[in-house]
Amino acid sequence: MSPAKRTTGSNGSESRAPKKKPAKKAVPAKSAATAAQPAATRPELVPFPEASRPAGRSGKYVYCIIQTTEPRRFGPIGIGSDPAEVHTVSYQDIAAVVSDTPLEVYDPTRENVLAHERVNEAVMRDYTVIPMSFSTVFKTSEDIVELLRSAYDAFRDVLVKMQDKLEFGLKVLWEPETVIREIEKEDENLRLLRQEISNQKGSTYFARMQYGRLVDSLLQERSEKLVAEIFDTLGAVSVASRTNKPIGDKMILNAAFLVARDREGDFDAKVKEIDARYENLILKYTGPWPPYNFVNIRLKLERATDAE
Amino acid sequence: MPVERASGGTSLIDVLDRVLDKGIVIDAWVRVSLVGIDLLTVEARIVVASIDTYIKYSEAVAQVPSVSRPAIESRTSEDLLAENASLRAQLAASMAREELPARRTRTSTKA
Repeated sequence: MSPAKRTTGSNGSESRAPKKKPAKKAVPAKSAATAAQPAATRPELVPFPEASRPAGRSGKYVYCIIQTTEPRRFGPIGIGSDPAEVHTVSYQDIAAVVSDTPLEVYDPTRENVLAHERVNEAVMRDYTVIPMSFSTVFKTSEDIVELLRSAYDAFRDVLVKMQDKLEFGLKVLWEPETVIREIEKEDENLRLLRQEISNQKGSTYFARMQYGRLVDSLLQERSEKLVAEIFDTLGAVSVASRTNKPIGDKMILNAAFLVARDREGDFDAKVKEIDARYENLILKYTGPWPPYNFVNIRLKLERATDAE
Repeated sequence: MPVERASGGTSLIDVLDRVLDKGIVIDAWVRVSLVGIDLLTVEARIVVASIDTYIKYSEAVAQVPSVSRPAIESRTSEDLLAENASLRAQLAASMAREELPARRTRTSTKA
């Protein structure tokens, strides 16, 4: 078995149903009034030629927030069957990276989700990004400017904290069967129990129960020790780390690390060092990612009371 | 074979793990946008419900220049006490005027 596998794009993840899958619904017809407004009434807006999109049906899909004072275009790499030009909508020195889209809720299909990620990765080559969660669509550029304006302090604060930092993913897996065989070689109690089970003539129920419990706790102990060693090794070359719940019973670690751009090489070397040190562990190493695991900005919409 | 780093977009499961509920999330956005608020700027506003950045505290202090909002430490406790008293007085006055029950309510009052 090769110690580490390169992740491929197709590992049957369609089965992971999204938590909430909003039903597609018709867009209210009265939004025609909104779209009829010229998109460039505010000086901060990047002028964008209004293409021949059906009035009242177009919106803007937001991918991420960046810091820039210049309007930017990233090419026709947007979400949707007909990839639209990805461009910026600015407010002061920050901007949302968006593309024109029909006003609809995007389902998290493979194609859509990868398009969202593809744009983030393209923008990330030149900028520090704060990623937007999937399928956030605004009706107009004005709404996006309002988003940038009202959460400006939060965005600025996070942009500064995330400046020149990248996220890397590391999943660590093992084969429990192999590990149990190893543990049996080392742990005398376990070996004795096993002998007892195989020599015993009558019921082995109790001994097998004991054996099972002991195996569980020894596996747990060993995985905790390994995870602690891995964090020790990678902690020195990363700014922060987060652990997510392991998926399946072979995974002992599902973590994300935030790494300074100029320590990327060091981090890489440490991951390879870990891979070489533990030959029975399988490492799945991914990145760079936008700092999804390190930014959590919750926004909510509130009814505006009086327009004072 | 030594471990190879796969770029972000190559594993759908890893992408889904991230994009669905991490980063900037607008709560109830879908619901609201389907209900049909036509112009966000008029009928609704966006407020920051919470921010977390998960950078280790010590590192954050060391690396992040002070960009946060102005500190309030310049104010003395006397100032605060005085302000507190004046606010209480205003509150009492306005409650008396509007004949509201003297318990907290979260709904905003319409004039």
